[in-house]
Amino acid sequence: MDFEPTYTPEQEEFRQEVREWLKENVSPDISHPPDSINITEEQYQLRRALGRKLGEKGWLWATAPEEYGGGGLALDHAVVIEEEVDSYGLTVPPYYDSGGRLGGASIMVWGTEEQKQTFLPPIFRGEVRTWQLLTEPEAGSDLANAKMSAERDGDEYVINGQKIYVGSSLGADYMWTITCTDNEAPRHQNLGWFMIPADLPGITIQPMDLLISGGEAGAGSGVKNTVFFDNVRVPAFNLIGGENEGWKVATTHLELEHGTGGRIARNWLVDHLFEYCRENKRNGQPLTKDPEVRDKLIDIYVEAEIARLFNLRNYWMRHSKADITYEGPQASYWRKMSGLRMSQSILDILGPSALTYDPQWGAADGHVEAHQRSAIVAIHPGGTADIQKLIMARRIGIGREVREKAGALA
Amino acid sequence: MDLSLTPEQEMLKTAVRGFIQQEYPKETLLEIAAEEQPVTAEPWQRLVATGWLGISIPQEYGGEGGSFTDAGVLFEELGRGPVPGPHLSSCVLAASAILEGGTEEQKRQWLPALARGERILVPAMNEGSYSWAEEDVQVVARQDGGGLRLDGTKVYVFDAVSATHLLCTARSEESNEVGLVIVPVTANGVAIRSLPGFTWNMYEVKLDGVSVDQSSLIGSSFAGGWDALQKAIARTIPVMCAYQVGACQSVYELSVDYSRTRIQFGRPIGRFQRVEDHIINLVNQLDAARWTTYETLWKLDSGQEATDSIHLAKAVGSAAYYQACNFAHEVHAGVGSMTEYGLTLHTTASRSLYHYLGDPQFHRRRLADALSL
Repeated sequence: MDFEPTYTPEQEEFRQEVREWLKENVSPDISHPPDSINITEEQYQLRRALGRKLGEKGWLWATAPEEYGGGGLALDHAVVIEEEVDSYGLTVPPYYDSGGRLGGASIMVWGTEEQKQTFLPPIFRGEVRTWQLLTEPEAGSDLANAKMSAERDGDEYVINGQKIYVGSSLGADYMWTITCTDNEAPRHQNLGWFMIPADLPGITIQPMDLLISGGEAGAGSGVKNTVFFDNVRVPAFNLIGGENEGWKVATTHLELEHGTGGRIARNWLVDHLFEYCRENKRNGQPLTKDPEVRDKLIDIYVEAEIARLFNLRNYWMRHSKADITYEGPQASYWRKMSGLRMSQSILDILGPSALTYDPQWGAADGHVEAHQRSAIVAIHPGGTADIQKLIMARRIGIGREVREKAGALA
Repeated sequence: MDLSLTPEQEMLKTAVRGFIQQEYPKETLLEIAAEEQPVTAEPWQRLVATGWLGISIPQEYGGEGGSFTDAGVLFEELGRGPVPGPHLSSCVLAASAILEGGTEEQKRQWLPALARGERILVPAMNEGSYSWAEEDVQVVARQDGGGLRLDGTKVYVFDAVSATHLLCTARSEESNEVGLVIVPVTANGVAIRSLPGFTWNMYEVKLDGVSVDQSSLIGSSFAGGWDALQKAIARTIPVMCAYQVGACQSVYELSVDYSRTRIQFGRPIGRFQRVEDHIINLVNQLDAARWTTYETLWKLDSGQEATDSIHLAKAVGSAAYYQACNFAHEVHAGVGSMTEYGLTLHTTASRSLYHYLGDPQFHRRRLADALSL
């Protein structure tokens, strides 16, 4: 076994190249508000600019095929890029985007050649930002109950309905969305996915007031929105996977969203917290010297280590094309539930300073306060914690002789 | 990055699994558990004859010279049984202590014999004031003529009834240093008694004026003995953790099977989400144990500093085995508590292994030290 990406001399050379390139190209003006709702247009544009430059280099979606605008690089190169970008507290891409990992990867599996040629290059080059639009007021955990209608009218579909808890601050170029393409057909045989230009007439975006919206360190998603579609006319070409064939596309999308892709980024929250506890005193000694604080810090560390290893395993499984079953939702479930457990340990350690981002009294520059809120809100995106368990049970085959298969990945 | 086993390791895994299905079926394991007898009869002799138990002993000393991960693969399969010791105690822990602290002569004398199962050397470490601290070693060793005389009591000694020799921690009366002394179980003054109750291969060892040769002192000096044992424990923990991973895997498979075949309210109980939850909790514990363990084995194999990982793996792994058994009992209810079903073999092992080489809280605190908190 080898838990580390193997760094050949060639890779180390590549790392130097990436490092130098990032030094040149990551703007020193990029900052990290603890709550990404505070991300400004200027900050967003700095990140988009970096994304476009990464895209030009083929480093934005490094493992995506070159012929569709990706980097065409091996996993070990992608790992180097992710590690180096991570050292700036940023992710790849450095902003919220559902285009590459979810929409793009789904189009790779289900799109026609012409659709791939049309939609993928702008995504993989970082020229466009895509939101995923799945949830509706009556289609949360029960995604197959999506009611936003897409009716064929000549060479176009006319879309009407509402999506909720979606997107980010500062708009999108594309909306990757699931609709109902046949009101009469049975469940799972009545859906269709579209890649919709976000500037079409009839689309209205309304920001939502939530406990917290983003919180994902580095990705900077900002607010969540309700999006209304009022007679939006979309070219039929933008239907991916065929009319009433949307559920099979959904299996791919959901497979990726349920954590199968894996992450190898480090947990900045643990770093922030350890640092805070080393530097701050209570009763005349650093917090880290208090036995009860030490126990709680280890609780947090252990939770984070298990999450790291689940993600690492999934990352390897996906890229080595190992037979993956319940591991994706397991990683999501662990992240969600351990996040909640960690937030209680943090509240125990820090007291009410964990609850404010006041510049004078808030702990760790407000990162901790944001986590207290985001740990709660994180229960639902990408499928609730309970839905993750439901998928695990089917994949393991608990009480079932036949184990459900994972969705197809490119 | 490659989290798969090598083809050789896969072959070993398959071979060990087949051997254990053949030689250690549930009925045999239940008999061994019921008898409290030395495990030196069949099928132990056939296990020894495979040569696998020398996996952690270097080839120059008659072992297989396997990697840590190789040993992990072997012990994961043994844990599925759970096949009881003295494999880990004698062939890994005691062998490592001699490797770390023994003289060249002691290594030549002991390691090939341990690898071949001709001698079984079992560490006797804990005493009445159960702890893993050097201060709590109270068994006294006095210079007596040309040799040493030992007095005191060891408790919670794994596998003692199967041992030919004991590797005792003992405090020198002269220097107050804690060293390692080999004691033949046949020596006058040695009394071994099984600890009754919810224990797994756990014994009391009384040392009443036991005389041994000076050559029984590991490293021919008390100084360095304690450190050698600590290093040996650090090398043994990840292998023991692999044993717990295999054990959790076995408990998990039992539970999934039962969820499919047990019918209540007209359907398999696994279709009830309450029951699903137990198995999901179980598999999360299993995988947490698995990946903390194998990352540690890999770190040791690749020569990296692994102190924090060793503590993490033991803290996670022993808690996982304990919890996995609890979840399995929730799935199985009455059937799980029947001795003949076999789940209680694991439940019993999980409680004793929880404490063996340090309990989860002990290792969590040392993890904090290792992280420089």
